[in-house]
Amino acid sequence: MTTAHEHPLQKILESRIAIIDGAMGTTIRTYGMTEADIRGERFKDSTKDLLNNGDLFSLTQPKMIGDIHRRFLEAGADIIETNTFGATSITQSEFFVDDPRERGGRKDPAFYQKIIDDPFLNSLAWEINEKSARECREWADHFGNATGRQRFVAGAIGPLTVSLSNSPDADDAGFRVVTFDQVKTAYIQQVRALIAGGTDLLLVETIFDSLNAKAALVAIREVFEQDGKELPVMISAAVGRGGETLISAQTTEAFWNAVQHMKPLSVGLNCSLGPDLMYPFLEEISQKADVAISCYPNAGLPNPLSETGFDLGPEDMARYLGDFARGGLINIAGGCCGNTPEHIAAIAKALDGQPPRRLGAIPPEGASYEPQIERRA
Amino acid sequence: MSVATEMKPLRLSGSQPFTQQPGVYIMIGERTNVAGSPKFAKLIKQGKYEEAVSVARQQVENGANVLDICMDEGMIDGVAAMTRYLQLLGSEPEVAKVPFMVDSSKWEVIEAGLKCLQGKGIVNSISLKEGEEKFRQNAATVLKYGAAVVVMAFDEEGQAATYEEKIRICERAYRILVEGVGFPPEDIIFDPNILTVATGMEEHNNYAVDYIKATRWIKANLPHAKVSGGVSNISFSFRGNNKVREAMHSAFLYHAIAAGMDMGIVNAGMLEVYEEIEPELKVLVEDVLLNRRPDATERLVDHGETLKGAGAAVNEKKAEEWRNGTVEERLSHALVKGIDAYIELDAEEARVKLGRPLLVIEGPLMAGMSVVGDLFGAGKMFLPQVVKSARVMKKAVAHLTPFMEAEKAAMAASGEVVKAQGKIVLATVKGDVHDIGKNIVGVVLACNNYEVIDMGVMVPCEKILERAKTEKADLIGLSGLITPSLDEMVHVAREMERQGFKLPLLIGGATTSRRHTAVKIAPLYSEPVVHVLDASRAVPVTTSLLSDEGKPAFVAQHRADYDALRKAHASPRQTVVSLETARTRRTPIEWRVEDIPVPEFTGVRVLDNFPLATLRDFIDWTPLFHAWGLKGVYPRILEHEGQGEQARQIFADANALLDRIIDKNLITARGVYGFFLASAVGDDIELYTDDTRGKVLERFHFLRQQANREGSEPCRSLADFIAPKETGLLDHIGAFAVTSGIGLKELCDRFRAENDDYNAIMAEAVADRLAEAFAECLHKRVRDEWGYGCEEGLTHADLIQEKYRGIRPAAGYPACPDHTEKGTLWRLLDVQANAGMLITESFAMWPGSSVSGLYFAHPQSRYFSLGKIDRDQVSDYHERKNMSVAEVERWLGQNLNYDPAE
Repeated sequence: MTTAHEHPLQKILESRIAIIDGAMGTTIRTYGMTEADIRGERFKDSTKDLLNNGDLFSLTQPKMIGDIHRRFLEAGADIIETNTFGATSITQSEFFVDDPRERGGRKDPAFYQKIIDDPFLNSLAWEINEKSARECREWADHFGNATGRQRFVAGAIGPLTVSLSNSPDADDAGFRVVTFDQVKTAYIQQVRALIAGGTDLLLVETIFDSLNAKAALVAIREVFEQDGKELPVMISAAVGRGGETLISAQTTEAFWNAVQHMKPLSVGLNCSLGPDLMYPFLEEISQKADVAISCYPNAGLPNPLSETGFDLGPEDMARYLGDFARGGLINIAGGCCGNTPEHIAAIAKALDGQPPRRLGAIPPEGASYEPQIERRA
Repeated sequence: MSVATEMKPLRLSGSQPFTQQPGVYIMIGERTNVAGSPKFAKLIKQGKYEEAVSVARQQVENGANVLDICMDEGMIDGVAAMTRYLQLLGSEPEVAKVPFMVDSSKWEVIEAGLKCLQGKGIVNSISLKEGEEKFRQNAATVLKYGAAVVVMAFDEEGQAATYEEKIRICERAYRILVEGVGFPPEDIIFDPNILTVATGMEEHNNYAVDYIKATRWIKANLPHAKVSGGVSNISFSFRGNNKVREAMHSAFLYHAIAAGMDMGIVNAGMLEVYEEIEPELKVLVEDVLLNRRPDATERLVDHGETLKGAGAAVNEKKAEEWRNGTVEERLSHALVKGIDAYIELDAEEARVKLGRPLLVIEGPLMAGMSVVGDLFGAGKMFLPQVVKSARVMKKAVAHLTPFMEAEKAAMAASGEVVKAQGKIVLATVKGDVHDIGKNIVGVVLACNNYEVIDMGVMVPCEKILERAKTEKADLIGLSGLITPSLDEMVHVAREMERQGFKLPLLIGGATTSRRHTAVKIAPLYSEPVVHVLDASRAVPVTTSLLSDEGKPAFVAQHRADYDALRKAHASPRQTVVSLETARTRRTPIEWRVEDIPVPEFTGVRVLDNFPLATLRDFIDWTPLFHAWGLKGVYPRILEHEGQGEQARQIFADANALLDRIIDKNLITARGVYGFFLASAVGDDIELYTDDTRGKVLERFHFLRQQANREGSEPCRSLADFIAPKETGLLDHIGAFAVTSGIGLKELCDRFRAENDDYNAIMAEAVADRLAEAFAECLHKRVRDEWGYGCEEGLTHADLIQEKYRGIRPAAGYPACPDHTEKGTLWRLLDVQANAGMLITESFAMWPGSSVSGLYFAHPQSRYFSLGKIDRDQVSDYHERKNMSVAEVERWLGQNLNYDPAE
């Protein structure tokens, strides 16, 4: 049984800042894929639009996904993520199952029980995870062997399209569309398939509902126990401008208290904000958590008028993350939405030779770092 | 207490973190425990969960750090009640911020509770009662969910009563947890059993001492472990004698905390302040607790009899001071805090006060929701709180609805038209599966009494539009989170235009923005397309859009805002030069006496009742057609293939109306103008009372272009066109204000009264033309009076094309975008007295058909557009003008090359 603490990545995090890759979705869009491309032969008769079900590209356009992995690895990523952000039966159901609300029904635990039990969705979710992990594994190993620098595959576990903390029913604040056990079941399958595909790490990311994340963490724990194999776990929350998880409104420190028992390899923040707005919460978690800190923000705020859909270019991201590194805040860095391989290359270059945040040493309160950040729109 | 300082604190969380502070006792709210509170038990059994939630809120308001929640009662389905109650508390932001203690003797209830906690709570409790295997298993499960745990001093043999039993069992449990299960020792909370004393049984007399000693031992010997206990047990034999019980609890806690007890479960209302226990009672109580004499129990019982009934219940409720405010303040407070306890009462009071239910909704309730929106926008409130506020709003609206129904029925009975309740179709657009945000908007709208038709996610355009038609919806709301959804929204807007929809369209979702909506979506659809920043903004927007009275103003403001956004977008950030550099690049003018004409007079002249027939000859007709939506240039437009017929009709109607206006003197033109001695001083122009230039009459402040242009284009300012003071040359400037709008309002009103909206609009359009003509006509006179105009010999067309020498820039236009310069002009010409024209606080001129500005005579003077300016000029301008930077930035928003918020 391997544990997080013996993992080779742990050593790396103590000696330098590891680079994680950028946005799959943003990069996919640069390939100009069409509805027909994502459907391929296999899903040509699907009744709903699939173009935004990006995970499906792992099955229908594996060459493109492989190319994206290759480009991120060339850009200098130590860790690449599987293309499985939405690869659960629950999220896939949005693309393949009619919405009961269209016929005056509602989504509730009875509806999701059918989803959880649906053989098509289950086998599809499994296949995406396993195949995507395998694909990633091959590219990581290929680059690892060619460059003599080990690369790691992080199984991406996204936040789902449902919330365990929020009631969509105006008349009943106690209503939930889905149960904890249903969410956990969907995640268990994803975790198992990612491990079967050869992933090195499990990354629970873009957490906007801490209870959803907890279900994922319980799922991971149960798979580890039942299958007798443990992988390092990375945890990353998506917080808003006030520093709370976007849906369940939990503050950064409260969140760390709630997930600390997982003894994760790293904890951190991603998505939702650009690096400038993320900074205060990154500093907070860096002060509270005694594990490696990861940070892969969006390329600024959404700007539908820019080419990538986001404000910041590669050099901007490199400058911000360089500042974070100089401030001693991070062990893992990369980008989320809006970050292309060019962004990651610039970040990798800027962080080359920068010392990582010291592990196990939480700086005394008040020893804050002055950001050398130029404020810009 | 060296142990306490080394101890790792207990760290927990709800939506907010909780960290135990050294030496500070943790308050556990226990009124949400069916075993301890008959009132709470009754609420749960009757299914009154909302009231049960208010019990929790009260506990938090009273300072509880952690809430103990227990549903162990024979008549209650523990799993269902625990789940439902915790999910309700999760939606109650003020409560959800604290950690919860899931309290049950049934394991399945505990596990159900753990599945509802987003934070790190406490399980109460596990023990070795059912053996080591079960204990390990349960502890591992607690660890898996990430909670702290209370461990009862129980084992296979039963409850630990003596000191020896307590420490033996606690030590054993500690070893298993820390070494076997890997449980963090700081998350282990022992409950070494507080058992009842003064029962009359001798073997019970040492129970308090045993607990206190065990506590001290645990804290000394089991690193980082915590100690808790159920305090009210200690005094159980004094049931019905609250005075004694309160004293016992207090004295017990005093000694147990000194020994290291970290937390306990006790009714705060059943707790005397230790220092305030009567000295005699305190001695008797401590004799019992500390087992100091054999007759301690009898003595306390005897003394207790004399005190019976004297115990006054401690007031549990904090004085609710906010109840003393006005009804408006109370409604606002209730909405912001999400308190629904009094909302119906207050809504009723407001209804009586304001007279009509609708006025309560559109008045104080909307004002309260807008405070909520502002706080949310500022990051001081979070989504769950907003949803909570919306629910309170719903209650208020529900109370008012019957009154509105009655009002409607009365209106219908008297034959008036009754407007139906608002209906909105919501959908996440095709290709996008994200709908949590949209659901929240749906909840908020539903709470505000809108009929919400939520079509779910990935809804194709056709379906949305079809549904909106069949439902006769009042509004459509589109949501999307991912970038491609933006294109889909554009598509929907285009389709709505093509199909001739008349509904406003709302746009929301994470990647959407006001700017994108204004630039890319709104131009494609003729009806309002409004970006809704978040759920809290939805109601003010929909209310405005569906209100007969509020809609026109809202739409006008909205269109103006979006126009400004489009303009701002069209003019991206430029590279600018410093003000210092810009000033070195002023318009190069070689100042010669022959270029500086001297006017016939200086001072002010008034033109009252100026002949409209004269003005008619100066009219530039082209803008009239623009006003009616026709694009083209007069006179060519009259012959235009597509628009010609329409244009000719408009032109004929305008002239017919103008004939009537002139013939019957329906409106009056008045104006005032003057010439003044002037010199440029920096970027200002000083006006003097006489040619000694000793006394400054007024000062105009101008701005200078800062854009870094290619080539030798200067950085212009209007100040460049008046001879600088240092040249010694005596220059002049002209100023004017004219109107053709006097009597216009009455004229339009008359048309409207006759239901002739066409001519009402036409009258305004024609009056606008006359005002511009007046400025043109007066400019001609000014040039003549300056002398150089006399040899012009220009045709009408030449005039329209401004082929003459000199300019007449106006404040609020590109060369001088600062509207506030009109204030100076008004003083200079005493416009109000001389021409009957007013300026509003936003420096708009009244009547509407008015023009004002300055005349410059230098041959090289020309129009230009100021463009973008930088902070250095704003700062300089603020000093010159003695206006705050913020105000300058407000007036010059469109010209700033930076974001003042940064």
